Amino acid sequence: MLRAQALTKVYPGGTTALDHLDLEVQAGEVFCLLGPNGAGKTTTVHLFLNFVAPTSGHAFVGGVDSARDPLAARRALGYVPENVMLYGRLTGLENLAYFTALATGKKLKEAEGRDLLTRAGLPAEAAARPVAGYSKGMRQKVGIAIASAKGAEALLLDEPTSGLDPRSANEFARHIDDLASEGLTVLMVTHDLFLAGRCATRVGIMRHGRLVATLRTMGLDHMDLERAYLEASEEADSEAS
Amino acid sequence: MTTASATLTREGSRLTVSPAWTVARKEWTELARDSRWRALIAVTLAMMVVSLALGLLHLGRLEREHQAATTGDRWVWTAQGPKNPHSAAHFGQYAFKPVGPLAVADPGTDEFAGSSVYLEAHRQNEAQFRSARDGTLGSRMGRLSLAFVLQAVLPLMAILLGFAAFAGERDAGTLALQLSLGVRPADLLLGKALASGAVILGLLLLATVGVGAGLAVRGPRAVEAGEVARLLGAFAGYAIYLVGFLALSFAVSARASSPRAALVALLGFWIVNVFVAPRVAIDVVRRVEPLPTAQEFRSAIAESRKAQFGHDESHPAFLAFRERVLKHYGVSRVADLPVSFRGLTLREDDEVGYRTFDEHYGRLNERLRTQDRLRAAAGVVFPSLALQPISMAMAGTDNLHHDDFIRAAERHRRRIQTAASQDLIDNARNDDPNYKAAPELWERVPSFHYERPSAWSAWRSQGANFLSLSIWSAACVGVAWRTSSRPRPY
Repeated sequence: MLRAQALTKVYPGGTTALDHLDLEVQAGEVFCLLGPNGAGKTTTVHLFLNFVAPTSGHAFVGGVDSARDPLAARRALGYVPENVMLYGRLTGLENLAYFTALATGKKLKEAEGRDLLTRAGLPAEAAARPVAGYSKGMRQKVGIAIASAKGAEALLLDEPTSGLDPRSANEFARHIDDLASEGLTVLMVTHDLFLAGRCATRVGIMRHGRLVATLRTMGLDHMDLERAYLEASEEADSEAS
Repeated sequence: MTTASATLTREGSRLTVSPAWTVARKEWTELARDSRWRALIAVTLAMMVVSLALGLLHLGRLEREHQAATTGDRWVWTAQGPKNPHSAAHFGQYAFKPVGPLAVADPGTDEFAGSSVYLEAHRQNEAQFRSARDGTLGSRMGRLSLAFVLQAVLPLMAILLGFAAFAGERDAGTLALQLSLGVRPADLLLGKALASGAVILGLLLLATVGVGAGLAVRGPRAVEAGEVARLLGAFAGYAIYLVGFLALSFAVSARASSPRAALVALLGFWIVNVFVAPRVAIDVVRRVEPLPTAQEFRSAIAESRKAQFGHDESHPAFLAFRERVLKHYGVSRVADLPVSFRGLTLREDDEVGYRTFDEHYGRLNERLRTQDRLRAAAGVVFPSLALQPISMAMAGTDNLHHDDFIRAAERHRRRIQTAASQDLIDNARNDDPNYKAAPELWERVPSFHYERPSAWSAWRSQGANFLSLSIWSAACVGVAWRTSSRPRPY
């Protein structure tokens, strides 16, 4: 469903953010990209969305090259950034209805909207309140509801649990499990090894714009994952130096 | 459903909505819930109502003053009693410029150009009773007019509506979320244009309806077809101007690095367009196409008149004229002429004077038209330079309407001169220097009656300004379309 082929991004000024990334995420799979800041994780997500154009290589969404047809690629994607920013004067329900109508051209019924928000973990009484009073976690949940309402085939999550309290992060992880079990493809960027181990089918470790290791999480506990992450990082650092 | 049409259609059991309409509805909801916008719109509406009310009061007062002055002046003219016709011509009359109904919205140059002309023998006078000259310091500073609100305040609202359209959403992070949904940038632009355009053009429409209603209250004559055509012309000009401002705001917002940068750039243009460009343009066109000062102009006319005989009976031109007259009537002495030689002399002097006035005023008017053309051309960059003449022309308060009134007053002056001279020619005896015409002569000179140029002529005179304004506005729309076609999400 998501495929990067020798995907490279060099920003003006010569900084190589992504260096020949090859990656494939199948339908129903949750793939976590791990790595420090500046490793190229967010750039990868932005290339799939064609928020930035690749310097070379391709980012395919369901067979569509996102650089060639960004609108078609984006229509198949759901995107939850680190900070889901919504319209503060609209309620959670109105925000959901607005973004859903934009994405699908369909008018969301109120009951459907409430159901989507509740399933995303938003307290029922919050749905009718202006978003200006929402916490970051509540906005993330609206973001997930928007992706669900859109009927996205693949979900791009960029640090989705950053700044969330443990309970909210756990709810979020459970929701990702549910979505993956429904056949959704998930590419998640995170620093959170625990979340990656908890949700991911596979994890990719990025360093200096390159994917330096890919691991299957089945059978790995949190400590194993941490060890593998540190080893891969050290190897990449010594190669780079 | 990628069209911008504001429609809802049924697809299966669910309502489908166009993205542009969705964006527009969201924008309206946000505006309606923003107390700052509610306050701003209320203040703007209040300014419109107050300026319109002031305009109506001013118009009513001017009409009453003109009516009283016209009646009084006519009474003074007809009550002259037996008098030498030439003395009566020197005694003179006033011609009062009628105020068009749409002057309630745009007083234009009337306050500065004057509203009445003193019609007297031998001289083509300029208009007098200029409010800005006769009034207090307050009136010199200009008064609140609906035209000012529409030309200055509504573009400011367009800027405030548009500056954050893209830059603000980018700053807030909502632009990325919208673009990630696969929305066409054109739909975002159209939706925002629909929402902001409805607010701005809605206010313009309210102002237009307000003027129409204000005129309807004043009586049926004020809302005749010509006035409606003028009102439509003004609406068209202002609509093109405001659409351009809105498009410019979107274009700058799409390109700017931050909403603050967009706002600063747009406010800079607004200040230059509304306050600086009109004044600088006056100075620039004066340098390119200078006009004589009033003193120089009068001196030039006086010099030309010197070449004619006027009242100077030793002037070679006078002597030549006398020879021609004596030859024409086949006599050798003025005393033998069958008509009044003084009457013939005055008529000849008048006719030569008319040619002099026509020549000098013609040259002056041609220079003024050149200045107008230069200002219209500059309207491609600073639209207020193109809009202001359109607004004044439709209100009937521009230079062209003023010149038309001055020409009509001059025609009336010439009728008075001709009647006075003809009476002398026909009735005065050459040996009777104390001839007095009967009072009936004053009655036979008709009152001054003036019809303004038609609405069509107002439209026609503004072709260049409409063209400049349309080019500017279309360019802004084009730039907005282009810059927003690939908006940066972050």
